[in-house]
Amino acid sequence: MSTLYKTGLEEGLLCCPHCNLISRLPEQKNTAPKTRAPNNRQPPSIICPRCDALLHTRIPHSLAKTTALVLAATFMYIPANILPIMNVTYLGSGQTDTIMGGIIHLFMEGMWPLALIVFVASIVVPLLKLLVMGGLLLSVKFGSCWRPAQRTHLFHITEFIGRWSMVDIFVLAILVALVQFGNIASVDAGLGALSFAAVVILTMFAAHTFDPRLIWDAMDKKNLHKQKDTTHG
Amino acid sequence: MQGEKHKHTQRVLRICHDCDLIQEIPPLKAGKTARCIRCHSILERHRTNSLDRSLALALTGIILFMLSNLFPLLSLKAGGVALDSTLLSSSIELFRIDRPLLSLLVFFTTILFPALSLAGMVYVLGSVKLGHNSQWIGPIFRFLRSTDVWGMLEVFLLAIIVAGVKLGDLAEIIPGISLYSFFALVIILALLSSTLDPDDVWQHQETTT
Ligand SMILES: [Zn+2]
Ligand SMILES: [Zn+2]
Repeated sequence: MSTLYKTGLEEGLLCCPHCNLISRLPEQKNTAPKTRAPNNRQPPSIICPRCDALLHTRIPHSLAKTTALVLAATFMYIPANILPIMNVTYLGSGQTDTIMGGIIHLFMEGMWPLALIVFVASIVVPLLKLLVMGGLLLSVKFGSCWRPAQRTHLFHITEFIGRWSMVDIFVLAILVALVQFGNIASVDAGLGALSFAAVVILTMFAAHTFDPRLIWDAMDKKNLHKQKDTTHG
Repeated sequence: MQGEKHKHTQRVLRICHDCDLIQEIPPLKAGKTARCIRCHSILERHRTNSLDRSLALALTGIILFMLSNLFPLLSLKAGGVALDSTLLSSSIELFRIDRPLLSLLVFFTTILFPALSLAGMVYVLGSVKLGHNSQWIGPIFRFLRSTDVWGMLEVFLLAIIVAGVKLGDLAEIIPGISLYSFFALVIILALLSSTLDPDDVWQHQETTT
């Protein structure tokens, strides 16, 4: 059954990601439609006749760009968790809070449902996102054929939940704006907040540059080989 | 709305955005969704009256957004002093304490992108509704769709709740007038993204150009 599958790449057809219009790649650019676009060359592109978007068969250099962004985010993840995200000055005494410290503080005060939400948004989601994106990149790099539908689904989940990690940055922004009692109490943003914001932004960009069709290209390659085997034999 | 009738009476060719598979989808009944046969991603959704409803929601959204910016979201009372915070004051205060990057990030995600998104949506959907034709509709709509993830008002709402609870034991927290309109705005935005049918706009573009 899988041999009946035809992909846009094989047929030289492009689907606009914005307006769904299908366009045909010009023939002269479409060299050998049965082979994958080589990684070192820019994949062919055209302009969508309906919405003027630039269309590519695959996002150009998707793997390299996404890898760079995920590595940068992983690097920033360390200071984001070690450095304080906020400095609270209360009656002359200063107190610094890391992300985890803030969660423990919430938990100690008996606000565990809220502590759980912040824990998931600030600790679990960024870590999961880095692990999932890293795993996806490796699986594409090595042409894995393992559960492509689940991997695609996993990608969309991380893409969707990533923005919720911003909650800690927003809490900080609200506290800075609200707590201004001169010498009595004030809140300042720490360097950890900047690193954490960088993690969120970098992983959001990484989700943007990742092309889920790369997951399926390995499958199509395998099917193509099968097809060749059956026609020869 | 001729395009809509035409669209849902014929089989149409689609290429899956997630796995690049070419497939034909049958005419869709109202409220039905077509999914890719290989990776189960959504290929098409049939929404009824999406244009009128989306336009009404976007207009409501603009009014609620203005209300949310006019009055305080939260007020803090301690030692006889009351401090207000508005949607904008979070970005301003971060800038004042010398965190320009964080300030810009908060400004972009809670003010600029939501405002652009609502204003742009009213312009685009209004133009389609009135049959008005402009070369700007396509690029603006494309920009709005691709920057959608950067408007984070619902995340900000969660942050307000967390901040309110955190401060609750230190001082008296009073919900401001804007908190209610902000809450309504988040709901309206969620409804808008679920009723909007981008094909309404693209089919308008196709018939007028
Ligand atoms: Zn297009
Ligand atoms: Zn698919």
